[in-house]
Amino acid sequence: MPLSTEEVEEIRKILGREPTEEELAMFEAQWSEHCSYKSSRLLLKLLPTEGRHVVVGPGRDAPAVKLFKDFAIVFKIESHNHPSAVDPYDGAATGIGGIVRDILTLGAKPVALLDMLYMGEPWDPHANWLIRGIVKGISDYGNRIGVPTLAGDTWFDTAFNTQPLVNVACVGVAPLSILVLGSPKPGDLIIIMGNATGRDGLLGSSFASKPLAEDTDKEIGAVQVGDPLTEKLLIDSLQILVSRGLVKYVKDLGGGGLTTAISETCADHGLGAVIELEKLHTRQKLTPLELLVSESQERMLIAVEPSKLREVEEVLRSHDVTYSIIGHFTGDGVIRVFYNKARVAEVSAKELARPRAVRRASYPPTEALKGLKPLYSLPPEPSYEEALVKLLSSPNIASKRWIYEQYDHEVGVRTVVKPGLGDAAVLRLLDGSSRGFAVKGDANPRYTSIDPFNGAANSVAECFRNLVAVGAKPIAIVDELNAGNPEKPEHFWYFEMMLKGVAWITEELRLPVVGGKVSFYNEDYRGRQVKPTTTIVGVGRVDDVSKAMTMELKESGSLIAVIGVTYPELGGSEYLFKLFGVEEGEIPRPRPASELRNATFILKAIRLGLLNAVHDISVGGLAVALAEMAVLGNLGVEVSIDSVYARGVQRVDELLFSETQARYVVEVKSDRVEELKKLAQKLGVRMSVVGRVLDKPIFTLSKSSKTILSVDLDLLKDAYNSLERAIEGGA
Amino acid sequence: MPRIAIVKFPGTNCDEDVRHVLVNVVGLYAEIVWYKEFTVNQWDAVVLPGGFSYGDWLRAGAIAARTRAVEELVEARDMGVPILGICNGFQILVEAGLLPGALLYNDTGRFVCRWVRTHIERPRGPWLALAKDGQVLDMPVAHAEGRYYIDEESYKSLLLKSPMLRYLQGFNPNGSLYDVAGVGSEDGIVFGLMPHPERASEAHLVPRGFSPGGRVIFESLSYSLKRGW
Amino acid sequence: MSTHLVEVVITNKAGVRDPEGETIHKHLILKKGYSAISSVRTGKYLLMAVSANSGEEAIRIVKEVCEKLRIYNPVVHDIEVRLRA
Repeated sequence: MPLSTEEVEEIRKILGREPTEEELAMFEAQWSEHCSYKSSRLLLKLLPTEGRHVVVGPGRDAPAVKLFKDFAIVFKIESHNHPSAVDPYDGAATGIGGIVRDILTLGAKPVALLDMLYMGEPWDPHANWLIRGIVKGISDYGNRIGVPTLAGDTWFDTAFNTQPLVNVACVGVAPLSILVLGSPKPGDLIIIMGNATGRDGLLGSSFASKPLAEDTDKEIGAVQVGDPLTEKLLIDSLQILVSRGLVKYVKDLGGGGLTTAISETCADHGLGAVIELEKLHTRQKLTPLELLVSESQERMLIAVEPSKLREVEEVLRSHDVTYSIIGHFTGDGVIRVFYNKARVAEVSAKELARPRAVRRASYPPTEALKGLKPLYSLPPEPSYEEALVKLLSSPNIASKRWIYEQYDHEVGVRTVVKPGLGDAAVLRLLDGSSRGFAVKGDANPRYTSIDPFNGAANSVAECFRNLVAVGAKPIAIVDELNAGNPEKPEHFWYFEMMLKGVAWITEELRLPVVGGKVSFYNEDYRGRQVKPTTTIVGVGRVDDVSKAMTMELKESGSLIAVIGVTYPELGGSEYLFKLFGVEEGEIPRPRPASELRNATFILKAIRLGLLNAVHDISVGGLAVALAEMAVLGNLGVEVSIDSVYARGVQRVDELLFSETQARYVVEVKSDRVEELKKLAQKLGVRMSVVGRVLDKPIFTLSKSSKTILSVDLDLLKDAYNSLERAIEGGA
Repeated sequence: MPRIAIVKFPGTNCDEDVRHVLVNVVGLYAEIVWYKEFTVNQWDAVVLPGGFSYGDWLRAGAIAARTRAVEELVEARDMGVPILGICNGFQILVEAGLLPGALLYNDTGRFVCRWVRTHIERPRGPWLALAKDGQVLDMPVAHAEGRYYIDEESYKSLLLKSPMLRYLQGFNPNGSLYDVAGVGSEDGIVFGLMPHPERASEAHLVPRGFSPGGRVIFESLSYSLKRGW
Repeated sequence: MSTHLVEVVITNKAGVRDPEGETIHKHLILKKGYSAISSVRTGKYLLMAVSANSGEEAIRIVKEVCEKLRIYNPVVHDIEVRLRA
């Protein structure tokens, strides 16, 4: 967004004179929504960010949390929504590049990538083009840099047909002792390493702060092409530089390019800088202004003590990493930029990077009422078989194999629980012990578009449950809030409510939000916002990866139990939408106290070896969760729904497809069931044994001793594996 | 103490995985050597690991095959130093002419990462000393350019006389001709395969229904370096 | 009506990076001493057999196919559509 007249006036006051063209460009980049967070800064203070094990909270390039006494886990989330709408392949790929570099700034080794993709329906041609481009972009980039991509999330909805949400996250690990937490000192040299600078993405962040123009051809200035080969060389050489103690400060050049990297570094550490722009290595001839704000990819800034320069240069040269020494840090807090000896900018770092905040107007549109309307009259119940098959073949539920098989999810030899078989991914630390961590990304755009406060809270809860289901203790999350235009009060209201939902439940679950991002202006050229979405990425500690739990049924003769209470909560459910085209009603209530109780129970039961499989219940409800476990394990089930602990349920479909929170389905070893019941009683957890695992491939549900659903597992398997057909076309 | 070199090119990304298995699982001495610093006569065995050397630009393995490091490997072929090419390493060996055939784009047009079942035929040489003819080996693949191609004549005259790894029925992930997953030189000293044995050498990384089929390759090397082959 | 062979060459637009071309140039061609080659751009080549009344019509049809079916992305790519000589 170009600077407003008030902002230009403010700049005049700050400088005490007319700003140069370069200075204006620097302020425009720095003060853009994407870089300054002006519309969200005030509300973000509501989030709980501290915790015993938080090492680096929000504010730095990446948050870090103590995973074990001696090991930290570094993780961050980012969005690349607008570039992906215009060029899905490069937009998604460069999103991956950016998030990995942020992890590198703490000296951590990137060990996992997550992609949370909210895209259009596969049968819409434009959306189909976006889906393929996005997945291929992530695949080509992530695979090349040798970081496994896993544990992502996907949602397919017409609201995203032309405006996809591409949220990516990266996780790194590092022994606490080597985390790069130092600061540059006056006299340290400023070195830019990585790709040569070009005209890529000029004013890219300013672009992200504008709604998508109708004629996308004009957006070419914002398109950036990624180069994963250079990224891999950056990763490798930085690991060496950090392990040899040659750099104490690393920063990524992301949104706002060189300008924001220098200003944020200086402002955070009370420094100034002298920059000689002509020294920056470039691909083409650029003006000083372009050099300052270009967003060419795969570039990082390192601060190097002059005495270490020679060694640093040796490492970079041997790895074929191009670099340039563009200046040095000073102690006076002023950024002085020169080009061929002529001064083009002189600005106080603190003024340039000073946090801006605007309190936006916010009120609910009439749309918002649909989340308050109880569903008092439902259409007649369909055939349960038809409903189950329709749900399993819904792109939101079906197996995402078409996506995750395009990602190398095993490189690094850390992936213990692989995509498709667990509610979250589990990776080992690879330090000789059996310690590890679990990670997962989650969101539900339907919930947040109907009821943003509770919807966002439920997204946190779903992530929490997914980590617990594999046997991990959740320790922290990061969040990405994707919303519409902050200047429109009816869009801003959704953002505000989602944020408040996250702030509320994370305090109740005692889960610190160690970092996060906000993406605004996700609307089309007609000003309609996409479904506002809260994406949560959570990590959990795993003490012994060999005990990690997967969800497929394992042993015929074992028993099946449902943990938690089921309520009639079909509002906002996949069932209601897929079967009747309805997207409204009170969405399931978040239940933090039950989440905590049930989580303690599940983790204890896993530790005691009482269970064979665990699956959390979310989209599609109980019946879908049971079907998934059966299909993946290739074992049948016989379940009596009368045994399911429920309250106020009037109809069978409410029982089968309600998306009530805080519930799990578990496969219990038949000789350990009594122990499990005693544990449930002791912890005050509702547990109902509802059936058993069969050795024949039939899925049977009965009520009052009458079979209400009996279907061959093959039919369910076929429905569950239909996503490839939906995306690639054909029968 | 035998020394194994794991050669790393710009873009190689499975080097540390191979080193982990060689050192921590099998107990051998192995070092990751940057391609600029590699000379074959300092090493008792060489592994070209997986990844995307030079981004897989032009053709997978094409640019790495023209580096001095690989040219030296070709010249030193008669020295009989065991060479293993895994995935991108296999692509490099094929591009360099150390193994026959060519590796083309998967017939699905997409990258594929999944576990497959293979079996080894005519195991011979240092990399397969402990494997039995027909032994089933489970391993994961992760590649976009793994479709093996060879003309019928060469298949009959070369491949059927050499150690060969074949995808079992239903497990060919990429349309490889004759279901070839890996091939060796006739004496087995040079062996290349698309699946990743280093990802299939430890029980906890193996999904249910499969077993760690990659381990035998590294254990065979360890055995052969002590006893000869 | 006769069959016309139409070539489509898709390359990145001039202002957009081409890391594949750069890598082939820097790490293969220049490393092997062929400094006479100053740059390399890569692209995708498609050869289409088109039934049409004239060469111009065949080109028109191919251009339409490339636009409508997003065979190239006009934001990042240039295309050259020509009759096979």
